Amino acid sequence: MSAAARPGSAVETIAISKSFGGVTAVRDLSLSIPRGGVTSIVGPNGSGKSTLINLLSGTLSLDGGIVVIGGRGLTVVKAHDNPSRSITRTFQEIRLFDQMSALDNILVVLTERRVARALVERGRGARGERAREILERVGLWEKRRALAMDLSYGQRKLLEIGRALAMDVDTYLLDEPFAGLFPAMVEQVKAILARMRDEGRTVVFVSHNMDIVRELTDHLIVLDSGELLAHGDADDVLGRPEVIGAYLGF
Amino acid sequence: MTTGFSRLAAAAARAPVVLVASRRGNVELWANLVILTWAGVFLLWQGPGFALTVGTVFAIWAILAVSLNLVVGFTGLLSIAHIGFFGIGAYAMAILTSGTSYEELRTDAIPTFGWPFFAALPVSAVAAGLVAIAVGVVLNRFRDDIFVLVTFGFAIISYSVFLNWAELTRGAFGIHDIARPAVGDLVLDSDAEFLAFAVLCLALVSLVSWLVVSSSFGRVLLAIREDEQAAEVFGYRVARYKLVVWVISAMMAGLAGGLFSSWARFVDPYSFALLESILLVSIVIIGGLATIWGSLLGVMTFVLLEEGMRFVPFLPNESIGQARQAVLGVLLVLLMLFRPQGLVGRYRL
Amino acid sequence: MPLPDQFTSRGDRQRTMGIMLAALLAAYVFWKVLQSPDQALQFTYNGLSVGAVYALLAMGFTVVYSTVWFFDLSYGVAAAMGAYGVFYLRSQEAVGGQYEVNNPVVNVVLGAVVAGVVAWSLHAWLYGRLRGRFGRPTLLLAGGVLAAGAGLYTVLVLAFPGEIHVLLSPVVCAVTALLAAWALRRLQRALRPRARLAPFVAAAAPVCGVAGLLCALLLAGAEGSRLYLSWVVSCLMAGAVGLALYRGLYIYMRERAHSHLVMLVASLGVLLAATAAITLVFESAPRPLPEAFGSEPWSIGGANIKGFNVFAVGVAAAGFVFLRLLLGATAFGKAARAVSDDEEVAKVVGINTTVVIAAIFFIGAVFAALAGLLSGHDTAVQPRMGLLLLVKGWIASVVGGMGSLYGAVVGGFALGLVEQFGIWDLAGEWRDLVSFVVLIVFLSFWPTGLVPRR
Repeated sequence: MSAAARPGSAVETIAISKSFGGVTAVRDLSLSIPRGGVTSIVGPNGSGKSTLINLLSGTLSLDGGIVVIGGRGLTVVKAHDNPSRSITRTFQEIRLFDQMSALDNILVVLTERRVARALVERGRGARGERAREILERVGLWEKRRALAMDLSYGQRKLLEIGRALAMDVDTYLLDEPFAGLFPAMVEQVKAILARMRDEGRTVVFVSHNMDIVRELTDHLIVLDSGELLAHGDADDVLGRPEVIGAYLGF
Repeated sequence: MTTGFSRLAAAAARAPVVLVASRRGNVELWANLVILTWAGVFLLWQGPGFALTVGTVFAIWAILAVSLNLVVGFTGLLSIAHIGFFGIGAYAMAILTSGTSYEELRTDAIPTFGWPFFAALPVSAVAAGLVAIAVGVVLNRFRDDIFVLVTFGFAIISYSVFLNWAELTRGAFGIHDIARPAVGDLVLDSDAEFLAFAVLCLALVSLVSWLVVSSSFGRVLLAIREDEQAAEVFGYRVARYKLVVWVISAMMAGLAGGLFSSWARFVDPYSFALLESILLVSIVIIGGLATIWGSLLGVMTFVLLEEGMRFVPFLPNESIGQARQAVLGVLLVLLMLFRPQGLVGRYRL
Repeated sequence: MPLPDQFTSRGDRQRTMGIMLAALLAAYVFWKVLQSPDQALQFTYNGLSVGAVYALLAMGFTVVYSTVWFFDLSYGVAAAMGAYGVFYLRSQEAVGGQYEVNNPVVNVVLGAVVAGVVAWSLHAWLYGRLRGRFGRPTLLLAGGVLAAGAGLYTVLVLAFPGEIHVLLSPVVCAVTALLAAWALRRLQRALRPRARLAPFVAAAAPVCGVAGLLCALLLAGAEGSRLYLSWVVSCLMAGAVGLALYRGLYIYMRERAHSHLVMLVASLGVLLAATAAITLVFESAPRPLPEAFGSEPWSIGGANIKGFNVFAVGVAAAGFVFLRLLLGATAFGKAARAVSDDEEVAKVVGINTTVVIAAIFFIGAVFAALAGLLSGHDTAVQPRMGLLLLVKGWIASVVGGMGSLYGAVVGGFALGLVEQFGIWDLAGEWRDLVSFVVLIVFLSFWPTGLVPRR
């Protein structure tokens, strides 16, 4: 699988840390996510996986350290610069635009970012086609008129992945894309992830499901208590005693 | 429009059609039916005179409500400060157009300019917009409850300025002799002419609102309302969007203010008190959030309630305003309990 | 709802700016004080007087907010009710009875509210305990009779405010007797923990009865007590309305609401309707309350302060001590904190959250009413006062630190003082503006408030 990985790293962190009022979630974490292929982040609850994603996408502000995305080091990651750095994400607790239709949830990320142009941009045009393509890919075209809040949990999860897909970027950070899904939907998401990898994109996902991780992952990052426990080739890492220990521990 | 816009915007545009072909439940249908019938009955019964007496009030409040809905309904910013921009527009119109000869006779003269109406009207809007930029920059720091509190603050501050900056506004005594719209010799002085002009302004404001909310910009506003942080993650500079819609809405309110003081030919601070602002927000919420039609319906209810209450026995005329306020308050509570999107709204608080 | 981290961490730069701003302000005040210490003292007195009202408001507001976590804007209604209650009960004395008001509709409505509150309280507190001993019909009948009696009694008191001291004397008799009995019982337990009860009851009952009767007789003869009784009555009325609002309205709304803005808007509706109702009954012009004691200014250290204002500060202090003890040292306080932390969990561990929250609403409304009537005596009553006091209490609680009781007191007095010192070089009309500028600056540079909640 690692043949899919291109040289260089998509995202790199240098000694980043984050604490929430005395509780340290991420401590001096330095890691590198290779460009291309699927990287998964695993670790026990509270090991800082979601915090890491939040820091990389600018949802949380860094306490210290540097994030390198697209070759540029940043001490402050601004969320609204994500598209220009060709990175996007999904959230652990689904965060759709609840009182908008499924179609609008996709369309909204396809539109103009500059305020003055957005004001005069009307109609759907090519974006409509693209939105349809995305919705069909996640199997929600039939539900395009339904409000996001009225969809089922699995559909919401898929719609959120669809929204990330629509961004058409190099790096996807997916926070627990498999949590709470039916087996059939798990397969669907797996297929989506596999296709993204085949298109040469970098997919980073957080999961608790070791079978899926084993099946999909090229590169594995194991976090424990906000620190890097192990990283490297998936099969290799999963065999290491300290990793097994951390998992038996929780 | 067949290319299609967001569901919300499309519904807003189709609003009158919704009346007949509503799939959105009976409340909406009945609300439309009852209020429109009520309006129709009054029109038929009291003749065009009725439209002349309440039409201008309706148009001015409707401009306010439509503009406030941009902020409250479409962007999810519950603002109580709107009356301040209305006041700024009104005072700009008053100070710019009030006659200079009259001022010279007074001991407490304030600077007035005697401009024509149409020169002052854009200034009303722009003045409100400029103040809105400053206010908006401050407000962008706050969210939810605290945002509401700070907008309360701006409403009180603006009222306090209108009342106490006597060198500019003559405080509680107010400003008289404000110009009516005029082009050359044609002065829109009669009630009917002014009504026509006000309705034209309302149509324009509604059109601009519709253009805003049905554009890509409008869709982003909805996203910001739903989840500000997520919108930011997908590359929108939320603060800018909020500021722009805030300023657009404030300029519309300023325009309404200009119309208002020209129509009343007199302006004093009491029209811009905090309670008026709360009333305005209630009207917008009662009518329906995130639809332009909802705002119009809300203001219609507001105006018709006053007219209807004239026929309530044992209610003295001077108490009508208070009674209406009480009814609106109760209506607001009931709606929050049973229908948090308002009568015909598209956004549940 | 806690803000997302991105929006609360404002960085060191802003904190530094805030501190610099505060230092600048302090320097300005210091300079002013050096210029004319007498005037500074006067402003301090004024600030403390107003601050006492704000502190009371902020305390009540905070107690409610930190339990249910939404801003209850109908809180202003309670403040206005406190003031207008006194006016209503004493309107024949104010300005020679020129604006006398007595409206049967108001009497009946308030009577009904009191009846409802009494019925609910009996049901919530006693029904479960007594159901085993008496039958359901008996209890319902007794409860109904008691509630209706309470309602009728309220109507009676409201309809004849001139005789309030006579009408209320039986209640005072009962309350005194019960208090005496309770105190004696505590004493008896402390002295002889294992003694049998019967002889004690035989000895104590007549003592208590006599004490109660004595108080009642004293009260019935003392016409001067009418004003103070009207304070008590209007505070209780406001409390009853606060409780009724929660039990009758908010409780259903909280079950359905999917954001706390719904609650905020609904309470705004209540405020709107209640303000209109007050205006309908009392007209919109400001009215003076009858003279309270201590309206003569005392001169202390070269500046004047009214005895009444000292009393107000005392009330605020007493209110704080009361709340501190109630929330910190009683089982009720423990339950209230549990509800505040997590209502669902509190429910699971067997706390009757409805009763706790209802009681909190009662207490909050009583505090607001106290603040309202103190402010009414200090200046005048007007229908808008509820809204204005609400906003001031809101600001004070935010400045002090949302959800923190110490913060409420500190914030209230701080706001009062800053308002007064702020208008040193301006005219008094700009006071509201000053308080909002303080709020906005504060929120920008110090969003957690003076004494953040732990």
